[in-house]
Amino acid sequence: MGKVLIIDLAICNGCHNCQIACKDEHCANDWSPIAKPQPDTGQFWNKVVEMERGSVPKVQVTYHHSICQHCEDAPCMKACNAGAIYRRADGIVIIDPNKCKGNQLCLEACPYENVIYFNDDLNIAQKCTFCAHLIDRGWTETRCSDACPTGAFTFGDDTDPAIKAKVAAASLLKPGLATRPRVYYMNLPKKWVAGAVYDPQADECLEGATVTATNTATGAKVTVSTDNYGDFWLKGLEDGSYTLLIEKAGYLAKKLGPVDATAADQNVGDVELWKA
Amino acid sequence: MEPLITRPPNAAGEKTLVRDISWCGVHNGANACMVDVKDGKIVRIRPARYYDQYTREEVKPWVMHARGKSFEPSDKSLAPPLSLAYKKRVFSPGRVRYPMKRVDFDPKGAPGSTGPGGRNAQNRGVSKYERISWDAALDIVAAEMLRIKETYGPTAILNQSDQHGENKCVHGPHGCMRKLLRLFGGYTLQVRDADSWEGWWWGSKHVWGCEPVGQQMPQKNLIYDISKNAELILHWGCDLETTVWGWEGQLPSRLSYWWTELGIKQIFIAPDVNYANAVHADKWIPILPNTDAALYLAIAHHWMENGTYDKDYIATHAYGFDKFEDYVMGREDGEAKTADWAAPICGVPARIIRALAKEWASKRTTIVIGNGGPGIRGPYATEPARLQVLCLAMQGLGKPGCNQAKMIEWGLLDDYEQESPPAPSIIPNLHDAYTGGTPMDTNHPSFIPKSLVPKALLEKDIDWYGNEHEMARREDQFIHYVYPAEGCSRIHMIWTDSPSWITCWNAGNDYAKAVRQDDIEFMLAQHPWLENDCLFADVILPINTMLEEDDIGSDLFSGQMNLLFPEERCVEPLGESVSDYEAVCMIAERLGLLEEYTGGRTIEDLIKIGYENSRVADKISWEDLRRKGYWVVPPMEGWEDIPAGLIEFYEDPEGHPLSTPTGKIEFFATGLAEHFPDDEERPPVPKWIPKGVTHEETLGTERSKKYPLLVMSNHPRWGVHSQHDDITWFREIPTCKVTAQDGYQYQPLWMNAADAAARGIKNGDIVSIYNDRGVVLAGAYVTERIMRGTIGIDHGAKYDPIEVGVIDRGGAINTIVPRGITSKNACGHAVSGFLAEVEKADMEALEAKYPDAFARECHITAGPCLAGFMEGRV
Repeated sequence: MGKVLIIDLAICNGCHNCQIACKDEHCANDWSPIAKPQPDTGQFWNKVVEMERGSVPKVQVTYHHSICQHCEDAPCMKACNAGAIYRRADGIVIIDPNKCKGNQLCLEACPYENVIYFNDDLNIAQKCTFCAHLIDRGWTETRCSDACPTGAFTFGDDTDPAIKAKVAAASLLKPGLATRPRVYYMNLPKKWVAGAVYDPQADECLEGATVTATNTATGAKVTVSTDNYGDFWLKGLEDGSYTLLIEKAGYLAKKLGPVDATAADQNVGDVELWKA
Repeated sequence: MEPLITRPPNAAGEKTLVRDISWCGVHNGANACMVDVKDGKIVRIRPARYYDQYTREEVKPWVMHARGKSFEPSDKSLAPPLSLAYKKRVFSPGRVRYPMKRVDFDPKGAPGSTGPGGRNAQNRGVSKYERISWDAALDIVAAEMLRIKETYGPTAILNQSDQHGENKCVHGPHGCMRKLLRLFGGYTLQVRDADSWEGWWWGSKHVWGCEPVGQQMPQKNLIYDISKNAELILHWGCDLETTVWGWEGQLPSRLSYWWTELGIKQIFIAPDVNYANAVHADKWIPILPNTDAALYLAIAHHWMENGTYDKDYIATHAYGFDKFEDYVMGREDGEAKTADWAAPICGVPARIIRALAKEWASKRTTIVIGNGGPGIRGPYATEPARLQVLCLAMQGLGKPGCNQAKMIEWGLLDDYEQESPPAPSIIPNLHDAYTGGTPMDTNHPSFIPKSLVPKALLEKDIDWYGNEHEMARREDQFIHYVYPAEGCSRIHMIWTDSPSWITCWNAGNDYAKAVRQDDIEFMLAQHPWLENDCLFADVILPINTMLEEDDIGSDLFSGQMNLLFPEERCVEPLGESVSDYEAVCMIAERLGLLEEYTGGRTIEDLIKIGYENSRVADKISWEDLRRKGYWVVPPMEGWEDIPAGLIEFYEDPEGHPLSTPTGKIEFFATGLAEHFPDDEERPPVPKWIPKGVTHEETLGTERSKKYPLLVMSNHPRWGVHSQHDDITWFREIPTCKVTAQDGYQYQPLWMNAADAAARGIKNGDIVSIYNDRGVVLAGAYVTERIMRGTIGIDHGAKYDPIEVGVIDRGGAINTIVPRGITSKNACGHAVSGFLAEVEKADMEALEAKYPDAFARECHITAGPCLAGFMEGRV
């Protein structure tokens, strides 16, 4: 039995309540022996990372969240040579502020970004505690999940059937690692390629054009139809390069690409289709 | 005194207090939070839990069913980060803890005197402050009031008490002094003009009445109506993920996600990917700031040309459609308002305009608004606001799924007609405990519309139409007023509370010039923070925040469940601070008017009176309320059956007429035609007005050659108008402040990468935004979230003058917004959609020229602070 946190990026509205509530709980409040106070600024035990995607006028924003993953097999625990990091029976990984010697080995060892911070004034490493001091008092929520207005944060016991079902549908942030984290994500961003198709002679948006993206490495295809603005959004793409084929009856087909959606989503802009 | 809340602390020794942490400004509250306190310290602020003291069976929350799905209120309030972070505002390094006096203001000096022993009005905004005692402060205030009254009459005192401040009830932060000034013999009132409503207030009222705001009224049950009936939502120039935060929290966010789940398409029309667009949009149509009138006209043209509007509805529900048709089709001015005509004006390709027109005509469409936004706050805002209504009308306004729905101010008017969400069984009302002023207050004969105050003070004689008060009806707009009013004085003293003029209203630099004139002999401010207009005051009284006093509060805006709660103070008042009401009581005592002012009622009495007259006293006893800490109002039974929006007008226009002179939707405004037949800036038929006698703020004009960018200035994401700007936890969020190389946290200026590159500007650079009204520094935030040709900067940043009235470092963009009002005869302010240019700031030259300003102490993570404006140490 243990605590888990599931973060659904599809319903995170970016309000930062989680980041702020965390600061409200931990800045200038001393929860020893679970955590000493967090500095007023500069640390984000639950960090909202704004990802701006695409270009005008095909732009979306996804808010990602960096937080300690409370790994079952935590690299930080192994790396600490002061024996300051321990896992509780409920799975929560704690850096004991009284045992930490400030060696910073955990910061090096953690394979996740923006998770462990170093407090120069106290000479200790600090990070998310899943609000263990509140859980021990009977709270069923962490401050971040309590403050979330949309239900993007779900906190609970992994023995709870509802939580189990959610976990089963969720993904890990870095599935390639053997860390066995207790934080799960839903709707992690996948790449998209978007654009708009129009008829330059009629100056008309072309609805119902078929757009097929072909992954240049795997040959995998995704097909969508343009809407009444001629817009197409090829979503859920694996990282990679794609060629695009745009077809509509009565028009000359058009090939585009390859479009590189390895590092970023791509807006290919306005695409002209000429009458056949 | 016994504590207000009798519930004991929990096992950890923490006592939970329910507080209204909102900034709507009058007695009707929002954003209920639970504040856990221990040993005189605020431990945490968290959303209020409805079922902490009540069961779901007792409350019976509403459930909204639509399209096979259901939606319920959350178990907790949906407070925004602005509430959760409020501890930082309470303990801000900008807090005023003691009475203060401007160091070179000597009240013994004659008016106009300069140098040692003088009043040195010219140094307002420059000279620093020193701590004085409450006794000394009250001596100065009482003596100045009596001297001014003796010399010029009481109307020489201008009261500014309509500004952006905290929500309090018994300690009313807005206009506690109005009653005292009446007892004192009179005064002149600054009447707030309808900001964030301006286009609708001064424009749409002439189309559809819809008193008192000019936005659609009734709003009742529109959330349910959208959920059941709408196929398309147009979010037009508004942002339900920002502007609504200070008023009601985050139910709009949850609703917007639900509407997506229901398959309702959401299109966002604005120059930027605002925060709601960022997470809810199915499509973004970028449009150049304040060119929306052209887009509406082109849509109307498309419908007329193709016959795709509701002709039967127009025949029975509209007046003067033919005149509108003449203008749109070009019969009036030879210019057909086609999509090709509009495209270069508004920056939207003609084919997109036509596609939008087609889609709107084919789907049940609701326009969702959330006040403010670039769609409605510019020069000639009456025109897009009126055209928005006319387009709705052409598609059968009032039909199920076809309304203008507000996502803000649901609880503002104490009126069920305003309740878009499922109606509550009771709307609590704390009016009887409230000590401040309200938007309904007026002050005949001596008042000045807020947007005309700099002009009045600088020009000494002005005249205008309307604006008797913020809720005045359409007919008021035809009444002519003058300053100074007959038998009244010009202004020689200003008394301001929660001041935020310079960073929130029009022509902030003009305001700075106006209040530095010799004939403003005394300026008194009362505020919790030394910021913005306080920097001009001669005496500043230290006011405490909402968490430092006992009070009574409510949450009427959440859209979930209304609450009423006694409010116990969370911490002791800081320093020598008192509440606004207590400060005014102290002045009243000096003037011998205390008994009359208070009516003999104590704070405790007022809190109790608030409860007794709140409409919930028969539901829960005072003792139980104090023990439980709050009362949850159940929803109204049968709320589902309340007719939605304008359905009654739609079904029976004769039986349910509008409040226009004809009772119909006036495509040709009969009132305007009668009273202002020759006003080309607000003609009877709404038009696209690129420039006029009042403004020249569009691309293609002569001014645009020098200032080729259009400024979009939205309501702030990380604050409510001027508030919250010093919260360190926000200032480290990249969209809140840009920390530049000099370490200063600048207000972000959104620039498209192409516009930035053309000017050699990189992300994070310090830039100057300038036009003929001044210069504002900002931090470049290069982004694809804004279209080319447009720059975006939120208003509300703390004023941090480099040269008063000329250059600001804090990012208070309102210092350089237009000085002109909405249009010649409409005194709203015009604060977005205006011309400017941007360049990389020459910081070396500025620092060399203004060493004092750059040497001023600034808190490294909280920004401009008290220490920077104090002589010696605090």
